[in-house]
Amino acid sequence: MIEILQQIINGMAIGGVYVLIALGLTTVFGILGIAHFAHGSVSMFGGYLTFFLMTSQGLPLAVAIIIALATGFVLGMLIELLAYRPVRGASHINAFIVALGLTMMVEGLNLQFFGHEQVVIPTDFNRVFDIGGVTIPELRLYVILAAALLIAAMTIFVEKTKTGQAIRAVAENRDAAILMGVNVNTIPLVVFAISTMLGVCAGIMVGALFAIAPGIGEGLVIKGFAVLILGGLGSIPGAVIGGLVLGITEALAAGFLSSAYKDVIAFVVMITVLLVRPQGLMGTAR
Amino acid sequence: MKLVTITTAFALAGNAAFAAEKTLDIGVSDALTGGAAVYGLPQANAVQMAAEEINAAGGINVGDDSYMLNVIAYDDQANPTEASNAVRKLLDRDGVKFILGFCCSGATGAVASFIEYEDAVMLVGNAAERSITTREIPNLTRTRPPADYTGAAAGTFVAEKGHERVAVLGALDVGFYASYVDAFEKELNAAGGEIISRESFGLTDRDMTPQLTKIREQNPDAILVAGYVEPAAFIYRQAVELGIDVPRYGFTSGSEEQFLRVANSEQMEGVWDLRPTELTLLSASENGIAYHANYSERFGIAPSPSSPYAYDQTYALKDAIEAAGTVEDTEAVAAALRDLPVPDEVVMQYLPVDGKMFDQNGQAYTANGAFQWQDGNWVFVQELPSDAAAYSDFLSTID
Amino acid sequence: MTLKPTHALWIAAFIGFALLPQFIAVKYYLHLSILALIWVIAAQGQNLIQGYTGYVSIVQAGFIGIGAYSTALMGLHFDLPVWLTILLAPFVTAAFAVGVGYPSLRVKGHYFAIVTLAFNLVIFIVLMNWHSLTQGEAGITGILKPGSPDGWLNWRDRETYYYFVLIVAALMTGLAALIVRSRIGRILIAIRQNEDLVGAIGISAWKYKLFAFVTSAMFAGLAGAIYAHYQSFINPEIFGVAQSLDAILAVIIGGSGTIAGPVIGAFFVVFLPEYLRFADSFRLIIYGLVLVLATIFMPRGIVGVVTSLADWLRRRRS
Repeated sequence: MIEILQQIINGMAIGGVYVLIALGLTTVFGILGIAHFAHGSVSMFGGYLTFFLMTSQGLPLAVAIIIALATGFVLGMLIELLAYRPVRGASHINAFIVALGLTMMVEGLNLQFFGHEQVVIPTDFNRVFDIGGVTIPELRLYVILAAALLIAAMTIFVEKTKTGQAIRAVAENRDAAILMGVNVNTIPLVVFAISTMLGVCAGIMVGALFAIAPGIGEGLVIKGFAVLILGGLGSIPGAVIGGLVLGITEALAAGFLSSAYKDVIAFVVMITVLLVRPQGLMGTAR
Repeated sequence: MKLVTITTAFALAGNAAFAAEKTLDIGVSDALTGGAAVYGLPQANAVQMAAEEINAAGGINVGDDSYMLNVIAYDDQANPTEASNAVRKLLDRDGVKFILGFCCSGATGAVASFIEYEDAVMLVGNAAERSITTREIPNLTRTRPPADYTGAAAGTFVAEKGHERVAVLGALDVGFYASYVDAFEKELNAAGGEIISRESFGLTDRDMTPQLTKIREQNPDAILVAGYVEPAAFIYRQAVELGIDVPRYGFTSGSEEQFLRVANSEQMEGVWDLRPTELTLLSASENGIAYHANYSERFGIAPSPSSPYAYDQTYALKDAIEAAGTVEDTEAVAAALRDLPVPDEVVMQYLPVDGKMFDQNGQAYTANGAFQWQDGNWVFVQELPSDAAAYSDFLSTID
Repeated sequence: MTLKPTHALWIAAFIGFALLPQFIAVKYYLHLSILALIWVIAAQGQNLIQGYTGYVSIVQAGFIGIGAYSTALMGLHFDLPVWLTILLAPFVTAAFAVGVGYPSLRVKGHYFAIVTLAFNLVIFIVLMNWHSLTQGEAGITGILKPGSPDGWLNWRDRETYYYFVLIVAALMTGLAALIVRSRIGRILIAIRQNEDLVGAIGISAWKYKLFAFVTSAMFAGLAGAIYAHYQSFINPEIFGVAQSLDAILAVIIGGSGTIAGPVIGAFFVVFLPEYLRFADSFRLIIYGLVLVLATIFMPRGIVGVVTSLADWLRRRRS
């Protein structure tokens, strides 16, 4: 019993990261129809940047996070403007190819600026809580809480604020949104800015709890898409449930079945869902 | 400081005062970029440094001629196709006959599969896949011993410590880590112990808590971690976080700095590393200490523990060329390599077989050591019981 | 079939390729040309599913791998002659392609691409981990060359292998041309342009998509088999997602939806890294930048640029 609980706790932290990545992806994919494959690498850039600000510039964690978020905000807008907007009218293949090219560029830039060795964002949270035999390190707990907070904030933003509602309007019916006066050129910028900021948060969490190294971003974005498919496109609750399910399933499978093929689980899930229920757990039937 | 451009740096250093002598181009094929660069780039640097030292001491003497070494290095990114391309370029386009480096098994295997048909000599460094020296390739030698040679010694050591139920967490999809564990298991079983479980992790994994939780439930009396240093550091930390209290033995290599990036010294305290006695300052020979100082000065960063495999290759090549008396006849040089006593300038501590550095498979053997993390440093505790001659015979029986 | 100017160009190109070994002074570039011709086969396959049907698949390198391992393992375990295993490899690959295509083709566009990428990763992970079958990362060595050591063709000689690959590449290019000019090809193009309409007029787009996907995989399988017998060594490293991206790049740069495009693209993808050697660390960045810029400014690839130029010249003259 303890083992199962422990594995569930184990899976929740990485599950939270998956949720954040998936949220960043679902915003862009659901609203703009772009499979922003570079999201993982850009998120890692956010983590690398935070590390750099803390170690080379001596800034405290909180300040570094704020700067990284601001950078993410701007970076997101630049990516939309320079990379995706030029192919907005063309076939969707082009946007995807651009996404692939962007991924290579960002991975290359990360390698150039930050090197090939792994980086870990230093924090002072070293305690370990033991609750009846189930252990949970302090940092892991904070990551889970932070992810929950961000999900709540995102939900409020989308449901309650004017910008959030405008975004949903564009997603549901672009032409009607234009008629109602929504500025459809600003919306993509905002969407990318938000998505990138969510990604930066994910990157910082990965950097603090685990490590950032070349190649980790791509692995995360693929898991993110698996969550998207599992949870249903454009659905925030879907992303949350999907991310947690994936994270916990991976942990349980590695713990009780085989750890060699742990990563394959995400793919098997993706493929099974596509075969059985293509709209995902929370999506509406097509 | 990221990447050193080897050929330009060497061009500046080497050619100045020695324009009158002859030049011998030697090649390096190694992972200079990408995830494996942490193994490949230091090797390439080591070859360059050795070449510069040899040149400064007058070069390689063959008959009346002195040859100054010129290193041409290509990046194979630890990718077999790139490695084949790099070596073909060295052989066909650059006219090179002696190729050093080779940090990574997949890439090295690809080259080894055609090198015996070429007019060349291939000197392998850090690549640990055993089959590279079981194929009876006459023009190939390797300075780094196969992993199972060390695994057997480690198994004996751990058994002697009285452990009977060992849980293994390793990069088991990689041949040489798996072969280390297999050899380890054989010795452990011989002493009455057993491996109670084998869990895996990969190069890019950073969260091994699921595997460790499973291991925790099984109540081992020791854990063996065999895999890459970057994820391994997380294993050591997460084991402590999960409350696992048993001795941790490893086959990971890795500097103090690489571990401290991830775990703090208390979490690492008591961890063992059972591996070839590579370059660790506290146990190094005089050559080793000098090498460490020179490399740090030349490149602005400390040498990696496995980089001397390539440094030693260069000196072995020099001695072999001088013994064979030719830079053209690669067969003669290859034969001379097999006949060589251990050169004076080497950094690693080799165990000669029949008085020679390389056995009849072209394989060299270093001592194996037990290192332990004590108070923030890797400390050499004792030599592991290793039988190079017996292993050499065993190696010859494998196809 | 009347002899059009384009046919003359093709014949001239083939003659050019046939004479190439005579002009190459350095054997190394012959080696690269062989690799490029192998990539031509894989790229023609990729073009079928991506350029003509409009489904970007990111699994071509996985299929190349399946082809390579099939021929190597069949030779190793069943002692079959090389020419037979090379012939069988595409069919083994086809079997896997059906398994991959079935779930993947249920979705379109980006979803499809992501799912195929997932399959590529699965193939890679299995190749790496199923030691008893594939020997994992260590790879399979000593793969035989075609023919026998004392046959009348010296298969160790690079030139011999070059002509072999040239003939196969030419045949496969011809096959690709046949497919796209047939009724099947026209339906594929229709699917790319408006899949719903195709369904509306009563054609089962599903069958044609599966055909394109499996055929493209067979091209890849053949390329993999030829590669295996050329290098005599294979390991999973080169059958990963990065190489699938190379296949996509080759099609885009060369000219998506044309027959000449993959030929040009394949050579581009093999030779470009050579000329980027000076900036190894920037290679990834430049590659990505080329891909992005090519998609934005040159969506029809080099062939597109050349045909536009030719049209412009023709108009100026008239």
